Amino acid sequence: MATKNAAEKMPKEVTEQVSERVSGKASGKAPEKSSRKTSEKTTHTVTLVEAVNLALRRALTDHPEVVILGEDVGTNGGVFRATEGLKRDFGFKRVLDTPLAESLIAGMAVGMATQGMRPVAEIQFMGFIFAAVEHMVCHAARMRNRTRGRLHCPLVIRAPFGGGIHAPEHHSESTEALFAHIPGLRVVIPSSPTRAYGLLLSAIQDPDPVLFLEPKRIYRMVRQEVEDDGQGLPLDVCFTLRQGEHITLVSWGAMIHETMLAAKQLAAEDGIEAEVIDVASISPLDMDTIIRSVEKTGRCVIIQEAARSGGIGSEISARLGEDALMYLQAPVQRVTGYDTPMPYSKNEGLYMPCVEDIIGTVKKVMEDV
Amino acid sequence: MRYFKLPDLGEGLQEAEIVEWHIKPGDTVKEDQIILSVETAKAIVDLPSPQSGKVLELFGAPGDQVHVGEPLLEYADAGEDDKGTVVGEVKSGSKEVEVEQFIIGSPDASAGKKLDGGDDRRVMATPLIKALARRLDVDLAQVAGSGRQGLITAEDVERAAKVSHDFGDAFTLKGVRRVMAKNMALAHSQVVSVTIHDDVDIHAWEKGEDPTMRLVRAIAFACKAEPNLNAWFDGKNLSLRPIARVDLGIAVDTPDGLFVPVLRDIAERTPADLRKGLDNLREAVKTRKIPPQEMTGATITLSNFGTIAGRYSNPVIMPPMVTILGAGKIRSEAVAVGDKVEVHRMLPLSLSFDHRACSGGEAARFLGAVMTDMSKK
Repeated sequence: MATKNAAEKMPKEVTEQVSERVSGKASGKAPEKSSRKTSEKTTHTVTLVEAVNLALRRALTDHPEVVILGEDVGTNGGVFRATEGLKRDFGFKRVLDTPLAESLIAGMAVGMATQGMRPVAEIQFMGFIFAAVEHMVCHAARMRNRTRGRLHCPLVIRAPFGGGIHAPEHHSESTEALFAHIPGLRVVIPSSPTRAYGLLLSAIQDPDPVLFLEPKRIYRMVRQEVEDDGQGLPLDVCFTLRQGEHITLVSWGAMIHETMLAAKQLAAEDGIEAEVIDVASISPLDMDTIIRSVEKTGRCVIIQEAARSGGIGSEISARLGEDALMYLQAPVQRVTGYDTPMPYSKNEGLYMPCVEDIIGTVKKVMEDV
Repeated sequence: MRYFKLPDLGEGLQEAEIVEWHIKPGDTVKEDQIILSVETAKAIVDLPSPQSGKVLELFGAPGDQVHVGEPLLEYADAGEDDKGTVVGEVKSGSKEVEVEQFIIGSPDASAGKKLDGGDDRRVMATPLIKALARRLDVDLAQVAGSGRQGLITAEDVERAAKVSHDFGDAFTLKGVRRVMAKNMALAHSQVVSVTIHDDVDIHAWEKGEDPTMRLVRAIAFACKAEPNLNAWFDGKNLSLRPIARVDLGIAVDTPDGLFVPVLRDIAERTPADLRKGLDNLREAVKTRKIPPQEMTGATITLSNFGTIAGRYSNPVIMPPMVTILGAGKIRSEAVAVGDKVEVHRMLPLSLSFDHRACSGGEAARFLGAVMTDMSKK
């Protein structure tokens, strides 16, 4: 057979894909085959977006009630390739391409979730999430409360967010605080491949709705070895990325990158040892970890890419004022974006907080006695 | 791009047949160079290379059917696969694999225990109170807070300012004196101390004998008699470690506070050697040039406060040691010798021992041995 000849010369993994399709069992029976392939523990060297793919693949393999839906998530594999290969391996009934209609995506996900499935919906860019907000806020987030616990809504909405990739309008905002304000909705933001994998698996397993925001600027920034063992990382808890005694730097998402660079430079050039906390779950907020650190250091700078006013940084600062004022040796400071629309393309650099901004603010805070 | 896949040829056509390859593996192709021709149900289409590069391998021969999305060709050294139909540019980082270590939650689980009264107690005061303290020249580190959770109130600061005004300033302990305060509190909180007092008749001594030298000798003698008193005791694990070598800590008073340098191996050295060692230690303490390692590792302690004043005391045992001998001021006393009354020189002794580690009998025998040796000529 002609196709067979072609297949013989292909690399192994490509051959498998082709033969599945040729023999027509790609959609229906692929999950079984995949589960045999992936349920063992394997280690992968992956970027953040590849870790998302790995976690989705694991969830689809281990949990038959998991369904992925969104624009271009199937055949195309997602605009950032987060869902690449999933439709091929798990079939169109588990990886659904939807019309370009965010309200439909979220509404469908709410229906599926309340009726026993675990949908993982993708909103292509966070800037387009607003059509879906009515379903998220008025239905998903309050389903458990509204039905007095009879129904709950275990859905995950994934959305890439944040600036720094020179994208056009609506593609660069960081509006995570809008969602953190909604009771009943968890908001989780990974900042490394390891945490993307672990947090996404936990988000999918969580019995209530989770907004999983992916910092797209660092989608491919670093590679890490991630063990594909199906183990989640806890939601609602911060991660301490670096220990230090002089000042606490609190951030999340892509800004963790600049924050860690600033911490290293402060240690090398000024002898200032910063403790770096990745908030990760911005709602509910784990203030215990942050307060413990501030009790030790007495100083805190919060770094967020989002606009300055009414953000998560404001909330953390307020809570430190309420519960840790006695330990503070200097006012809590924030390094943030501006209260303006995110500028387009090449002007992004004017908006984005950078390493120098963080270092300057830290030095100012260190001067206060 | 690593693989060139059969693109969508339009009009809903999902497959094509390879007609002819215009290149072979190993060729270097340019972008837009025609690399193969395929035949669909409608027409023969020439397909251009989407990028420049060296061709590693071709998949499929003329006559093969291929489907949309299946790979036709692999480029060499193409690196990253496609990154998607992205709006904007997602930058790829270095190829290096980052090793990341992080802690879930807080690194210090105990940090949350607020104000447990430890030595590092943070000043708990609002900025307003701190400003008030600065204005009234009050050191908040010395003010005990009477407010909620030890919070220092305005009243506390004002009271502290008044006390300073009326009685002068207190000073925060530093250095040796600070260490003394902490060590004594530690010893008092741990050790079950019992003290035995007695006087030893030193009438037999020759003129000009140094009491300290005699005490050193007597302790060495007593340690042989009752080895359990020359020991370290671990109160946590309840274990006693008798030590063969006798390293004697000698308490020395200085204006800066209490020093306890160690005279090593007192049982095995000649009197002249010990004398020299003792003089060296005293000189080193006086000039504050004693190295820290010379003040650690004692197995038993002598406090000869009699050089100043005082008869008896309750010497404090420093864990993990179990014994300290205190020597008071030598005095002349009327003693009964046979039927007569004679005036003899008496040296008062106070032996403290840790009753967790040693029995009263052991301690009494130890004191007896000290007295036996002290009373000799």
